[in-house]
Amino acid sequence: MATHFFGLTSRTFRHSHDVGRAEFAGTGFRNPTDMAIAPDGTVYLCNRSYENRPDGVHVTAITLDEEYITEFGAYGEADGEFMWPTSVALNSKGNLYLADEWLNRITKFTKDGEFVSKWGTAGSGDGELKGPAGLAIDADDNIFVVDAGNNRVQKFTLDGKYLSQFGSAGSGDGQFNMPWGIALDGEGHIYIADWRNDRIQKFTADGQWEASIGVSGSGVGQLNRPNGVAVDADGDIYVADWMNNRVQVFAPDGRYVSEFRGEARLSKWGKDKLGSNPDMIRQRNLAYNNDPDYEKLLAHPCAVKIDSQGRICIIDHTRNRIQVYVKEAEPALV
Amino acid sequence: MAEQDIALMAHLMRRAGFGASLDEIEAKAAQGYDSVVQELLNPESQGAVEEDLLIRFNPSYFEAAAIENNVQQWVWRMINSPRQLQEKVALFWHMIFCAGHSKIDSGQEMGLMVDIFRQNGMGKFDDLLFKLSTNPGMMYYLDNTESHKANLNENYGRELLELFSLGVGMDEAFNYSEDDVKVCARAFTGWNIAPPYPPFPHGRSPWEFRFDPADHDYSEKTFLGQTGNWNGEDIIRIACEQPATARFLARHLYNYFVADEPQVPAWRLTPPRDQAAIEALEKAYWDSDHSIKAMLDVLFNSAFFKDEAVRYAKVKNPAEMVVSLLRMTGEFQGYKPGLFELSQEPKYMGMDLMNPPTVEGWHTGREWIDSGTLVERINFASDILGNTELAGVRSLVNRLMGLGDKISPEQFVNGCLDLTGPLVMTEDTMGLLISHASKEGDLTHGTEAEQADFTRRSGEMFQMIAATAEFQFE
Repeated sequence: MATHFFGLTSRTFRHSHDVGRAEFAGTGFRNPTDMAIAPDGTVYLCNRSYENRPDGVHVTAITLDEEYITEFGAYGEADGEFMWPTSVALNSKGNLYLADEWLNRITKFTKDGEFVSKWGTAGSGDGELKGPAGLAIDADDNIFVVDAGNNRVQKFTLDGKYLSQFGSAGSGDGQFNMPWGIALDGEGHIYIADWRNDRIQKFTADGQWEASIGVSGSGVGQLNRPNGVAVDADGDIYVADWMNNRVQVFAPDGRYVSEFRGEARLSKWGKDKLGSNPDMIRQRNLAYNNDPDYEKLLAHPCAVKIDSQGRICIIDHTRNRIQVYVKEAEPALV
Repeated sequence: MAEQDIALMAHLMRRAGFGASLDEIEAKAAQGYDSVVQELLNPESQGAVEEDLLIRFNPSYFEAAAIENNVQQWVWRMINSPRQLQEKVALFWHMIFCAGHSKIDSGQEMGLMVDIFRQNGMGKFDDLLFKLSTNPGMMYYLDNTESHKANLNENYGRELLELFSLGVGMDEAFNYSEDDVKVCARAFTGWNIAPPYPPFPHGRSPWEFRFDPADHDYSEKTFLGQTGNWNGEDIIRIACEQPATARFLARHLYNYFVADEPQVPAWRLTPPRDQAAIEALEKAYWDSDHSIKAMLDVLFNSAFFKDEAVRYAKVKNPAEMVVSLLRMTGEFQGYKPGLFELSQEPKYMGMDLMNPPTVEGWHTGREWIDSGTLVERINFASDILGNTELAGVRSLVNRLMGLGDKISPEQFVNGCLDLTGPLVMTEDTMGLLISHASKEGDLTHGTEAEQADFTRRSGEMFQMIAATAEFQFE
């Protein structure tokens, strides 16, 4: 029997495992909005939680093997605190930078979570911020801030000195409507999740528009409020297609490759939680038999990152977990 | 613009919505009463809440599990939705079709139930009752999940007739018998819920209605004199054909939108406050094939609604008290932290949203007020209105300054009352307010010191108004 491939054939993906469970502290997450993954495998997630549970607002540091390392930060306005965390990024020394879209500030922590410094001024002038939503740090240790409310991307030194900006409000090439996530590829190109324009835009390192991917909709290659973007070593582009509850994969030239809708299984911490609650095991079994898909699927995925092993890590926001996929060199039987 | 137009529009916006700022009331009065009523009745003709932005800034609102998140989101919608009547109607049904989080223990289900009221609350009553009867939260709350062909639980059958459609009685007669209750319950056997996921480790799944034919009583039933092999849908159809249901809806709508009626259990023996009004609303029900929107259309265009005698004749319920203050001052528009505490205020005033005390709901009218809740109401209102640091209150003060370079105490008091209503005070209260304002004479705002003084006096006057008996009414 002949086997037919239509289009792109050289990639194969497999769901690997899942990390985390819903918790307000410790071995789990609460409404995580973003993560940064260090070369040593440490994953820093910023948890947004909600107002009546401020104890859930902090950064959790873990590994993708579900080892809990630490947590730091708290809800508030003091040094080292944050209110509406949107994104995190790591510099070359392993320091963590966190953006707060309410306080309009960037906070720097050591890799162990100690507060170092903060910067950011509300406004719309050069170097001022209105709802910073995405962060990325380039190979020269400059930081790009997606300045959502001002519909632009600004570039700063790591201590907050303004360098340059690109973008304006609108829907034309190089314009933005409430942009959110950002990614840099190995060649320094900048990818922006142009959230309310339902597209990803690609720019050169100095902010010249190069290409757009996606239009509004829920079909193949269409996007509904994309908020996270990542690029792997091959240049493939992964987009957290937030309101379509999926991650779509595009080739470097923007052609659609595949999509992940979620294939979660119980994480180690998830099993631990259920293990001490026999009633919940019973209830989950009944529910699983009735609708096995519900627990597997992504629900408002809001960030996608590539770790040092090339694994594709998706923050499954509403289910409070990370779904991890791998890109296989050879096709694997799943 | 005529003062009476402003006063009538303010009345409409208090009743068909959660009030408005004076700027908005003036704009709507200029637009015209009939046009505004049609906008209110046709929410799809108005802008919608921008759901993507709401969830972006409040990501926990999506499939929110916590009850606090659902209450908070609802209060946000009451304040910000351009479709004010839609939210007001959602609250209306929540106060009649009572189910509570204390038993359901799923904030998401409470949010979904309110959304049914939001989306279907002005449609055909039969459709709304069907949505309600297949709502998993309600099925569980009133024990229909425990009602089986071989082991009947009458709770849902009884409440559907007593509290959700016919009412116990009217014109001194009873509307249904105990046998009707049993038959009603039998017809709803097999209406159940599919097993949902538990809260851990990833959060509850939304509950789903599931009909189990093996558990349904298919035998012949006689309900309100009609015999057949009735299922729940037939019961709803027959119930909606009853004069008692038209009466029940008319009295509820009148009580909520026009003027306080006696408490529901008294309706069998106590005739309506305005019999002609009730008859007009009943007629709209029959003429429109059971449309709630048609009843509201008649209501808002009627003389009995526009009558000055019913203005400020209703005690604000706690949600109205809180939300109308925030709308009046323009506070909490858009997206910002701080809504959780505000969204809990109605609870402190005796109205724990999404968690009514029993299936009979809250007692309304003057029963909203006791010594404890009155203190909460006054404190909250005066904290908001007296806080001249708030941008919304600042804009009220700026409008007062716009009355002139030098304004008399009488002008000042009248200006404050216009901005907070326009409110009408009794002679005694008016005398007290003017007497207080007169202590420091005319108001000017030419210098910085005078502006500071003007602002302080405005805050004080707003606080005094918030503490009047008149402010408790809408």
